[in-house]
Amino acid sequence: MTTIDSQHDLAHGGHDHHEGSYLTSRGSIIADIVNWATTVDHKKIGVMYLFAVLFMFFLGGVAALALRIELLDPPRLQVLADGTQAITGLNITPALGADPEDLAQNNLYYNRLFSAHGVIMTFMFLVPSIPASLGNFFLPLLLGAKDVAFPRLNLLSWYIYIAGSIFGLASLLFGGVDTGWTFYTPYSTTTDAEHWRTLSMIMAAFVLGFSSILTGLNFIVTVHKLRAPGMGWFDMPLFVWAVYATSIIQVLATPVIGVTLLLLLIERVLKVGIFDPGMGGDPVLYQHFFWFYSHPVVYVMILPAMGVISEMLSVHARKPIFGYRAIAFSSIGIAAVSFMVWGHHMFTSMGELAATLFSALTFLVAIPTAIKVFNWIATLYKGSIAINTPMLYTLGFLFLFSIGGLTGLPLGALATDLHLHDSYFVVAHFHYVMMGGTVIAFVGAIHHYWPKMFGRMYDERWAQASFWLVFIGFNVTFFTQFFLGTQGMPRRYAGYADEFQLLHQISTYGSWLIGLGFLGHLLTFVTSLVVGPKAPPNPWGGLTLEWEAESPPVEHNFHQEPVVRHGPYDFDRVVPPHCDEKDFPLPDQDEVARVH
Amino acid sequence: MTTIDPQAEPALAKPKGMRWESYVHGHHWRNADDEFDAAKLGMWLFLSTEVLLFAGVFVSYAIMRMKYPEAFINGSGYLDVKWGLTNTFVLLASSFTVAWAVRAAQLNQRKVLIANLIFTLLCAVAFFGIKLIFEYIPKWSEGKRPGEWFSYPYAHDPHEHIWWGIYYIATGIHALHVLIGAGLLTWVLVRSGMGKYGPKNYAMVETSGLYWHLVDLVWIFLFPLLYLIH
Amino acid sequence: MSFVTPITLAQEGPAPIDLGRDQISESSGIWERAFFGSQGFDSAAQASDGLYMLIFWFSTFFFVLLMVLMVYWVIKYRRRPGVPAPVSPSHNTLLEVFWTIVPSSSLLVMFFLGFWTYMERQVASSDALQLEVQGYTWGWTITYPDGTQPTWSTKYASRQNPDGSVTESTQPTPIFVVPENTNIRLRMISSDVIHSFWIPDLRMKMDLMPNRYTGYTFRSPDLPSGEDFSDHWVFCAEYCGNYHSEMAAIMRVVSAAEYRRILTEEFGEKPYVETGEIVWRNQCAICHSVDGKNGTGPTWAGGVFPEGERGLGYTVRFNDGSELVRDEEYIIESIQYPQRRIVEGNYGAMPAFQLSERQLIGVVEYMKTISDRGGELRVEEAEAAIEEGAEASEEDGSDG
Ligand code: HEA
Ligand code: HEA
Ligand code: CUA
Ligand SMILES: [Cu+2]
Repeated sequence: MTTIDSQHDLAHGGHDHHEGSYLTSRGSIIADIVNWATTVDHKKIGVMYLFAVLFMFFLGGVAALALRIELLDPPRLQVLADGTQAITGLNITPALGADPEDLAQNNLYYNRLFSAHGVIMTFMFLVPSIPASLGNFFLPLLLGAKDVAFPRLNLLSWYIYIAGSIFGLASLLFGGVDTGWTFYTPYSTTTDAEHWRTLSMIMAAFVLGFSSILTGLNFIVTVHKLRAPGMGWFDMPLFVWAVYATSIIQVLATPVIGVTLLLLLIERVLKVGIFDPGMGGDPVLYQHFFWFYSHPVVYVMILPAMGVISEMLSVHARKPIFGYRAIAFSSIGIAAVSFMVWGHHMFTSMGELAATLFSALTFLVAIPTAIKVFNWIATLYKGSIAINTPMLYTLGFLFLFSIGGLTGLPLGALATDLHLHDSYFVVAHFHYVMMGGTVIAFVGAIHHYWPKMFGRMYDERWAQASFWLVFIGFNVTFFTQFFLGTQGMPRRYAGYADEFQLLHQISTYGSWLIGLGFLGHLLTFVTSLVVGPKAPPNPWGGLTLEWEAESPPVEHNFHQEPVVRHGPYDFDRVVPPHCDEKDFPLPDQDEVARVH
Repeated sequence: MTTIDPQAEPALAKPKGMRWESYVHGHHWRNADDEFDAAKLGMWLFLSTEVLLFAGVFVSYAIMRMKYPEAFINGSGYLDVKWGLTNTFVLLASSFTVAWAVRAAQLNQRKVLIANLIFTLLCAVAFFGIKLIFEYIPKWSEGKRPGEWFSYPYAHDPHEHIWWGIYYIATGIHALHVLIGAGLLTWVLVRSGMGKYGPKNYAMVETSGLYWHLVDLVWIFLFPLLYLIH
Repeated sequence: MSFVTPITLAQEGPAPIDLGRDQISESSGIWERAFFGSQGFDSAAQASDGLYMLIFWFSTFFFVLLMVLMVYWVIKYRRRPGVPAPVSPSHNTLLEVFWTIVPSSSLLVMFFLGFWTYMERQVASSDALQLEVQGYTWGWTITYPDGTQPTWSTKYASRQNPDGSVTESTQPTPIFVVPENTNIRLRMISSDVIHSFWIPDLRMKMDLMPNRYTGYTFRSPDLPSGEDFSDHWVFCAEYCGNYHSEMAAIMRVVSAAEYRRILTEEFGEKPYVETGEIVWRNQCAICHSVDGKNGTGPTWAGGVFPEGERGLGYTVRFNDGSELVRDEEYIIESIQYPQRRIVEGNYGAMPAFQLSERQLIGVVEYMKTISDRGGELRVEEAEAAIEEGAEASEEDGSDG
């Protein structure tokens, strides 16, 4: 198969005829709906993902706010002086259908709340978030390609994602599950035995896995085969490296959760006894399987975030990224090591030898991450730093993610983890990395790429004000939880001893600030879509290929196939496309030549 | 199988939009080579996910075997090596013919391609038939069932239900893959009949073939694990 | 799913307790107090806190360093219209190697410290007081070596309101006592789903599995001077359903004398036979069967076996050729002073057991139920036998 079809090249090579923006309407609403629902355009699929995951984030966030309100003053039994009983406290679960007189039901509904929150936030929101939305939209643009490698497969992934979400939402609609997002056996195989909703939720996670695998596969092939002429591996933007590393993890780890959840389903339905201790099975085997996927998956969540951070940081600081290769390789390093540390979630249920091994490996995974952080900070040195929303979010990410990552260290050390495991310390840790890391980077990146995606600018003041609300609210909510954890507050508790109440209350107030902040963002975005000023093709002065395209890009991304003539971060040598040297002045080129 | 002379193939009619001669690669590819390589790379990646999926099954097997060696030794004693071996040969033969089919597509031997595909599908049917008639149905009716369903009265070991659980899960997931593979090959067969595959376009034949090899490969591992190791 | 029977509850148990944390030693810093509130109560717990604080200060150092640089540079190099960014190199191998090596080596230290402290918990000391812990949805059954189980409980999160009402959680929280300054080993199992036994003041937890025993060892703290007891929370730290959040217990540390008193006078309400059976199950069953099969030691079942007569009311032959009909006095002697007379064919492998009076009687009463000749024995006689045994041991002491 070596013939090169030159005829074809002539026919398809240059798209010189003028095309409209990918957002151009097809004339009627029906035509538009049909067009979007059957599109194989990566940009449209990316945008659909964006709205879907933001909707999931909203649902998960509402569940979070609700469970935080329950923790403000958990309902308790009150025995009055005359011996009669009443329920005190803030009992919100009746709003969900619980019996207000029955505290066991209150607890059940609380458990369903945090399970819904966890499942939505991880499987339906965070795993697909950056890669499926921004990755889909920008990967081909960053590579100078017209689309991803397998556009129809991409559409299939999207529909699988929808199907999985429907399984999940159906389960939630009919009451939800009380297993936590980890589905530990034997609890998950026995709880709520008569009802199908637990099955449906496990099914959801199972189906969503396929979507994740196919997207990852698609991206890997895209990176290998669709780079623009002149783009070597080390000319790729770091976001591409990050998506590439992410995809590798998705492809290699997700099948394992697939078979695990399949076994769990079989176990629940057919009672084969592999995980059921009553029949000779082994519940710890389930934990191994689960974390073999779910540890790598936390890097699926963070790596794309690190990718967009690298992009935003260098663009808004107008600085060549410091240590490009170190950052690129550390992405791959993280991906590789991430497969060897899953046991650190199970120190309290595994043998000494295994625990020791996993503890040692856990510290190993912190090293490539530390390297990245150092490089990011060094990138700021002698930059030309614009303080705008994407930059604020980038700095916010560095602040919050560092705290989140560093608190991973006492969790990785054996002795301290035995105290902190399954406490609010862990809750705080993973919110600092998942929310403070990934979500913050995601929201920043949405601002960064908003003009490109929708062709409109957003309001800086509103966006920055919302950032500060989110940032401050976040710290109030979750920093307190470190103290809760070290002082002995276990997680997944619907109530608690009095001594923890003050800190819980502070945490709940903080969560309201976060909610307000995101509401601000929501309004900013809606306003921008409706009345925002038109965006220029390159508002920030970026050098990567997506900024050569129009805002929003045309149907096939570029008018001509772009050719790569400079590195993605040569800010000290190149005037950005569509920009004026007046706005983005270059330093003395002799000096640049001397320094490099 | 009758030998088919490629020369005997009638000269193809004027290329219509549907046939392989007029195949045009997807517009987002720079050339057909890239597209073909991408399809293969994609399939290899997908196969690696399948391998990992089965790795999960194999690990469960290993762990449970470690816990209950007696149950597994007894359990595999109930299996009939004869049928396992037959099925192994059936799949091996089908792997061979599917590889031949790819070759035939490359060389534009349409009848060879079709004949090989049909033979492969027949093998799939045979595999299923043997599995069902000589293994699943008799075992299930004797009470050799997984987990809670287990009701075989002459069990030697109290944990034989675990063995049967692993047995049915492993062979069941594999059988599902045989089914999917057969579906893919049927699709390829139909399209071969329409003349869609030839030297310029045979990526689909090749990738489905790769998938079929995987199905075979997994069985090559399952067979000794389940039938042979005592 | 099977559940163990929940413990019986004494409604009049001790008054609700203040578990506020003010026991932290004066020497600890403000951060340590903020994090932990109270001092970890054995050396491993303190080592663990030490490690935590080490990591904390290490992290704080890097965090502050990075954040100060970040903020400083952001301000110093903020964008000025028309002014290009100063030129600077985009990598520096030496610097990059440096900031790879330094964190790596400090991480190695953290790992080892964590590992050593962890191992300290895993090593069971031979003289430890072993408590059996059974977790079930949603409660704990604690069993002392003599089979006694705590009968005290309170209501979690109890609170007296100004209007005279009491706010409380629904599930009872058992209170169990341990003697101060003693090595304690927990042997744990779950009867349904997975639970986890977390003693925050000990900085330690371990999961309870439905299919195998797990456990850990710790040393109970000294009582604070002037206090009769100190209370410590135990929480279930593995999600287990509706009342996961109320699956708590309170560990009360008391003096050794008080411990013995509570066990016998407050908790020890079990019928003798049941007490004896629990003692047998927890301590004797490894060597002594009750079904006639010989183990390391002779079976307790009464009857004539190939090796000779066994059990209460049957004749025993000793290595020195003497014979005796096994009676209560002999049984109690064999428990307390097993080396005095060795049964024919045995070699004196049995260690002495320190059982309470109740437990000794319990064992004898239990043996009676498994021997057809054990019928007539009465409790008073057993008590008399115990007294004689005690006198005998005093004689021993003066002889030696
Ligand atoms: C985005 C997701 C994400 C990320 C990136 C991480 C990153 C890390 N996590 Fe986290 N983790 C979770 C999500 C994540 N985690 C979740 C969801 C759970 C709980 C699951 C559940 O039970 O429900 C969890 C739980 C968890 C546990 C189990 C706790 C328990 O239940 O007992 C452990 C234990 O080792 C751990 C460790 C780590 C470590 C060492 C890192 C490292 O990768 C961190 C590396 C980062 C840094 C080190 C900081 C940045 C660097 C600097 C500021 C420079 C200076 C640093 C040095 C010199 C070292 N995590
Ligand atoms: C992505 C991951 C993610 C995110 C973002 C969050 C966000 C939040 N989480 Fe959660 N959380 C988890 C993942 C996440 N969480 C997981 C995995 C668990 C474990 C579950 C388990 O134990 O099984 C958990 C558990 C958990 C607990 C512990 C429950 C327990 O153990 O009992 C708590 C308690 O405070 C909590 C609180 C919160 C709060 C207040 C937020 C807030 O930050 C939420 C704020 C968000 C909003 C208020 C939504 C607003 C959105 C809009 C208005 C839409 C518009 C948006 C845009 C346009 C950008 N979470
Ligand atoms: Cu028991 Cu949680
Ligand atoms: Cu992890």
